[in-house]
Amino acid sequence: MAFAIEFFVRRLSQGLLIVLLVAFVIFTLLRIAPGDPIRIILGPMATATAMEETARELGLRDPIPVQFGRFIVQVASGDFGHSFIRGKQGGASGGSQDGAPDLSQRAPVMDLILTALPYTLILASLGLIFAFLIAIPIGLAAGLNAGRWQQKLGLYISSFFVSLPNIWVGVVLIYLLSAKSGLLPAIGYRGIAYAIIPAIVVAIEMSPVLIRAIAVSIAANVQEGYFNVGQVRGIPRNKMIYRHVVRNAAVPLLNVFSAQMIGMLLGGLFVVEYIFSFPGIGLLTINAVFQRDFPIIQAVAILASAVLVLINILVDFASTTIDRRLKF
Amino acid sequence: MISCVKKRREPHHEDYTATISCGYGSRRRRGSHRRAQPVLAGLCTGLQHAGLRGRRHGDGLVDPSSHTVAPQITAEGFLFGRLTRCPMTPANPGEILPDLAVSWSQIDAHTLEYKLRAGVTFHDGQPFTARDVKATYEYASDPSRPASAWYPGRVDVEVVDDLTVRLSTKAHGYPALNFWYVSSFLPILCADDVANPEKLKQRPNGTGPFKYVSTTGDQINFQAFDGYHGGKPAIENLVWAYVPDANTRVLGLLNGQYHLTERLEPEQYVSLSKEAGIKTDRSLSSENKYLHFRCNKPPFDDVRVRLAAFHSIDRDQVLAIVGEAGQASNCHLSPVKFGFTDVEGYPEYNPEKAQALLAEAGYPNGQGLPEIEYITSVGFYPKTREYGELISAMLQEQGFPVKLTTLEPAAWEEQLYRRADGQGPGHIVDVGWLTGSPEPDLVLRPNYHSSFALINGINDAEIDASLDKERNALTQEERLKVLQSETLPLIAAKAPSISLFSSVFLRAMSSKLDGVTFFPNGPVDLSKATLS
Repeated sequence: MAFAIEFFVRRLSQGLLIVLLVAFVIFTLLRIAPGDPIRIILGPMATATAMEETARELGLRDPIPVQFGRFIVQVASGDFGHSFIRGKQGGASGGSQDGAPDLSQRAPVMDLILTALPYTLILASLGLIFAFLIAIPIGLAAGLNAGRWQQKLGLYISSFFVSLPNIWVGVVLIYLLSAKSGLLPAIGYRGIAYAIIPAIVVAIEMSPVLIRAIAVSIAANVQEGYFNVGQVRGIPRNKMIYRHVVRNAAVPLLNVFSAQMIGMLLGGLFVVEYIFSFPGIGLLTINAVFQRDFPIIQAVAILASAVLVLINILVDFASTTIDRRLKF
Repeated sequence: MISCVKKRREPHHEDYTATISCGYGSRRRRGSHRRAQPVLAGLCTGLQHAGLRGRRHGDGLVDPSSHTVAPQITAEGFLFGRLTRCPMTPANPGEILPDLAVSWSQIDAHTLEYKLRAGVTFHDGQPFTARDVKATYEYASDPSRPASAWYPGRVDVEVVDDLTVRLSTKAHGYPALNFWYVSSFLPILCADDVANPEKLKQRPNGTGPFKYVSTTGDQINFQAFDGYHGGKPAIENLVWAYVPDANTRVLGLLNGQYHLTERLEPEQYVSLSKEAGIKTDRSLSSENKYLHFRCNKPPFDDVRVRLAAFHSIDRDQVLAIVGEAGQASNCHLSPVKFGFTDVEGYPEYNPEKAQALLAEAGYPNGQGLPEIEYITSVGFYPKTREYGELISAMLQEQGFPVKLTTLEPAAWEEQLYRRADGQGPGHIVDVGWLTGSPEPDLVLRPNYHSSFALINGINDAEIDASLDKERNALTQEERLKVLQSETLPLIAAKAPSISLFSSVFLRAMSSKLDGVTFFPNGPVDLSKATLS
């Protein structure tokens, strides 16, 4: 128990620092990159005077550290602010020049995120399930049959999948499975069926890493002495695999899962949601980037980095639990 | 994109939606009571104001006088009526048809009279009368209103009787004819809403064929208005949804989720024109594409350098790149605008002349010219990056040291307009200007009159005088003559911008969708549309 407390206190404090750094970098980049949210808020014909007044009223002309300090205090109280652009019903309402916008009449960022989150979770879950369905049999076969055709097949499939851009895969799958054959719906979301094609795209993007990780990890364990010794002592091969090899291979797989898969998943979801007009956090964020809706981008960046940090901490904890020799 | 709903055979569609998309997509409404009801949905990729396309969409439908954003103007087309409507065809750009007014006439130089349609009601059930016209015109033309830039100035409205109004510009010192075409563009609000700003902010209330139902995320839901004076639309429900990716919109059309998609890329248009079950539509818009020179700083403060650049660009090659999305025109106005003419002597590609002008300006072969930044966007208009590279190469060939800067729309938009100090970034800027009525001053004054010159900063007394002259003409015939024989040739000769070509809007829709009318500035009339 003492170990767990010490572990979480140490790692969470490190994680908080990482999240703060990410937040500051994103916050600063948004403000120095070209593209003024005030132009989006007020519309193209807004006068320079009106733009300056609105920017000042929204605090966007204060020094960046001042803005960031104000933002962090706000976030610490659980308030991620209100969208610059989206109304309470979630629709964009930029372009009105009736003075500075009353942000209290705009959508709270957390509401927008919570509305979009279930869609993203559905897509991510389905994508992961598909990825595991693809990767586990191929990876296991490749790992257990090092040097044979199963290993080559795993390598070829991984190489093929990794070379497919997810934008291209998405467009082709929509065309083939939806537009041409009518087998599945594809755009937007009106039910779980709408998540199948985008989830396949996510799975195709993620499975190469999984296949390789599983194959390498399994193969390494199969070549360990204990695998043959166990069989010599009468333990059936399949039992050795499922009881010992898979368990021992789990630690590196967990690390791959946390370090690479979740990062890939987050990045991949953004692109996939955009292609499929899937109403999750990825689409919300990409639209926010186009519209320079700073509060949404900042909140998503903070939450995404926090999720990554937390998953890494949990995976490290799980790894040390599985193998107490490991120290994180 | 817009869509209507209908029973479908595809496994993933149990009920119907007819969709139109222009970056807007549609989504069906759930519930058995909705089944077999046509729905139209739209999606918009671009945002526009007094001429500029844009990327906004959504809830700004409440008060049309509060913005100049194109997609919202398009959405407002479903909701609001106008006194008149202008089809804006190249064959007859000045044609005016009745809408909420049944007849109109010029009483004197400062007075127009409109006879209004009887029996019209607003979506909230209030009757439409002359007092609504008075409230709307006096409110929208107030210079404090953000969209007042659309209108020539303040106007006073006299209520003669419930169905007759007179617009008077006498107290404000300009001819009433300036409202002749603008009346086809000004959405009529309910007088009670205008009197109560809080009510006005709550929901849009017009006399148009569809009424507002709700906004759900990136889609707006409309419903056919039972009391529409032109008869209730056959399409019961309309969904206007934002789908940002052009390929997604096309695929949504192909798989039947959308029924109409707009703002196609040229190659998408060509490809879709070969698809079974899809029909395409191509029509000249009220938008021209321009290269504006920053005329208030070197080297383009010298008309000879501007003309040299003009003569360096082979617009035929530009059009070859733009393909179906452009049409050649030698005028700073679109052919669907009042006053358009094929300007005699419009500067053409002529490298020898370009060299002569550069030498005369003190830059032989371009020597001594500063680095010239050409700012363009990508993902906003068709092929801007591609023809930007071509134009840069053509200018470099004549000695202009051009650097092409390609920006995504939000960054480009920030660079577009002149700033508080009167200067704008870069030296050449690519932009389109799209307006909703045949009125030429919606293009000419914001761009070429020194009191605005929003992008190029031109300050030329001759251009100002000519623009004032055409504006103050007392008859349409006189105005047309001034525009065609003086103003437009003068703008071409002074070259504060190059009008590269006129934009053609490309759309595709389900072959089951009929009776759709497209306006050259984007709005879509679905009041007579059907989905078989």
